[in-house]
Amino acid sequence: MSSSAVSTGSMAASRHVGAVRATLLSYRVLIRQIVSVGRLAALGALGAIMIVVGWVAGVAGADRDFGATDMLRDGAGYADAFGLIVIVPIISLVFAAASLGDARDDGTLVYLWLRPMGRAPVAIAAAAVSMTVALPLCVAPTVLGGWLASGRVAGSGDLAVGILAAAAMGTAAYSCLFVLVGLLFRKAVLWGIAYVLLWEGLAVGLGDFAARLSLRGYARSVLAHLADVDLDFEPNRLATSVIVLACVSVASLGLAALRLRHLNVD
Amino acid sequence: MRSPPRPAPAPDPASAGVEADPRARADAPGAAPLPTGMVEVHGVSKIFGDVVAVSDVTFAVRPGVTALLGPNGAGKSTLFRMMCGLTPPSRGTVRVLGADARRDRDVRGRIGLAPQQDALFDRLDALEFVTIAAATQGVADPTGAARHALGQVELDPDDPRPVSGYSKGMRQRTKLAAALVHDPDVLILDEPLNGLDPVQRRRMIELLEDLGARGRCVLVSSHVLEEVAQMGSRILVVAQGRLIASGDYRDLREMMDDRPHRVSIEADRPRTLAAALVESGTVVGVKIDGDVVVADTLEVDRLGREIAPLARRLGARLRVVRPLDEDLESVFRYLVERR
Repeated sequence: MSSSAVSTGSMAASRHVGAVRATLLSYRVLIRQIVSVGRLAALGALGAIMIVVGWVAGVAGADRDFGATDMLRDGAGYADAFGLIVIVPIISLVFAAASLGDARDDGTLVYLWLRPMGRAPVAIAAAAVSMTVALPLCVAPTVLGGWLASGRVAGSGDLAVGILAAAAMGTAAYSCLFVLVGLLFRKAVLWGIAYVLLWEGLAVGLGDFAARLSLRGYARSVLAHLADVDLDFEPNRLATSVIVLACVSVASLGLAALRLRHLNVD
Repeated sequence: MRSPPRPAPAPDPASAGVEADPRARADAPGAAPLPTGMVEVHGVSKIFGDVVAVSDVTFAVRPGVTALLGPNGAGKSTLFRMMCGLTPPSRGTVRVLGADARRDRDVRGRIGLAPQQDALFDRLDALEFVTIAAATQGVADPTGAARHALGQVELDPDDPRPVSGYSKGMRQRTKLAAALVHDPDVLILDEPLNGLDPVQRRRMIELLEDLGARGRCVLVSSHVLEEVAQMGSRILVVAQGRLIASGDYRDLREMMDDRPHRVSIEADRPRTLAAALVESGTVVGVKIDGDVVVADTLEVDRLGREIAPLARRLGARLRVVRPLDEDLESVFRYLVERR
């Protein structure tokens, strides 16, 4: 080891890393850590299934000569039932929970934690990483699947826009929420799946009040308003839905930063 | 055989050795004057559920190399984690450069940690890993600093392989480079010599000694006494979560002089010799193994003086007389067993 190279300077001055730079640096590390061929292949396959099933449903609907309104409602229902219940939360969960949860479990979190940086940039970077990977994997199959299931009838363009907005907002909100879950629980994916299936999946079916306590309820409200379709429920107002999804995202990141500050790091 | 034994000093963890008053020797070359130790641990305990990992430990560490010595599970890594702020103490206070690293961002930027676990960002190559470490420490030229740090640990910064493809020794050196890259005031290295070959170990020890001599506070943990004996003169002995002794290598040598010693005596007529040793009161126990008498004595110097005349009187020829426990391991064992 080269001892001659050691600095002879006086005690090092303290250094701070600004919030933007800390976010970018954390993002740069975390994105490399969570993306793996296995994850992309498995979750990409899930999306492919949604697209294929949507195409089959669209063709079958056209053969039975459904009306445009029915086709649009079927497409929106399919995007809701497969995309917003399964694809969006599950894919967001896998990447968001892993972004800091994996680092915590394998001991690499210390390389971001023991630094002269704030905690919020690390949480924001984790959510950004999750969104970077999850957005295309969630939005593309949900939009394509829903659009194909509608049989590409007149108005399916608006439907696609509605699905896109709902899936994107849902992915963002779930990503932020599951970054927090990844820091709260060791087996975050299991906890997350339980939450998605038991609460997000069932709560909407329990009535309008319960739906207001689930992210899916707000995401599908966005879909219903923008696509102008009836999904057999009383949707929240569009502005309310957008604000609630944004608030859940911000609150989750705030709590994740707080959790990072008080975390026992291995 | 060594000098006559002296009464055993009571190893008061709070005040034993040179660690009690950190101001006494805070004068290493290049060090800024410090009113207290660079690292201060006061009355610290850490409890995980029913397990007491660290119990009421107090010490202070000045510039230079200090070794934290103890068996696996003694609480060394927990102490290091508390110093770095990675986990808070259940009781007591830990200060690094006068502040709590858990709350003080400035102090976190002045600590370099090489953790014990073999965890790295495995998809990065060494230069990327250390560059990220430098950038997240706010170093002005992260890549230049990373190349410099990798050079210090003799790793090729242009090696394109991800660190997942590195040997254990290379991974260990990558961690050390990341800990060194921002030239920290306090360097905390948990078992840093694990995985290094003898040549790398020697060079690493030289590097750490040089950093210590330049006023950096270098804390190193080890469960291998040979490493610690080579590494530095200041030693904190930890076992079962407690600080059981502290001081420099000489202090521990004194403890060696004040405890029962085991001596191997190879001679013909070993039974006669053993009986005579017991009768003379020079030894407190003997064991015979072939031609070898293994004797336990509290008066090692007297045994050294008397063994040759005694053998001559008995007509026994001495072939070899040598101590069996003249190393730190035996001191460590003695200290732990005495508690």
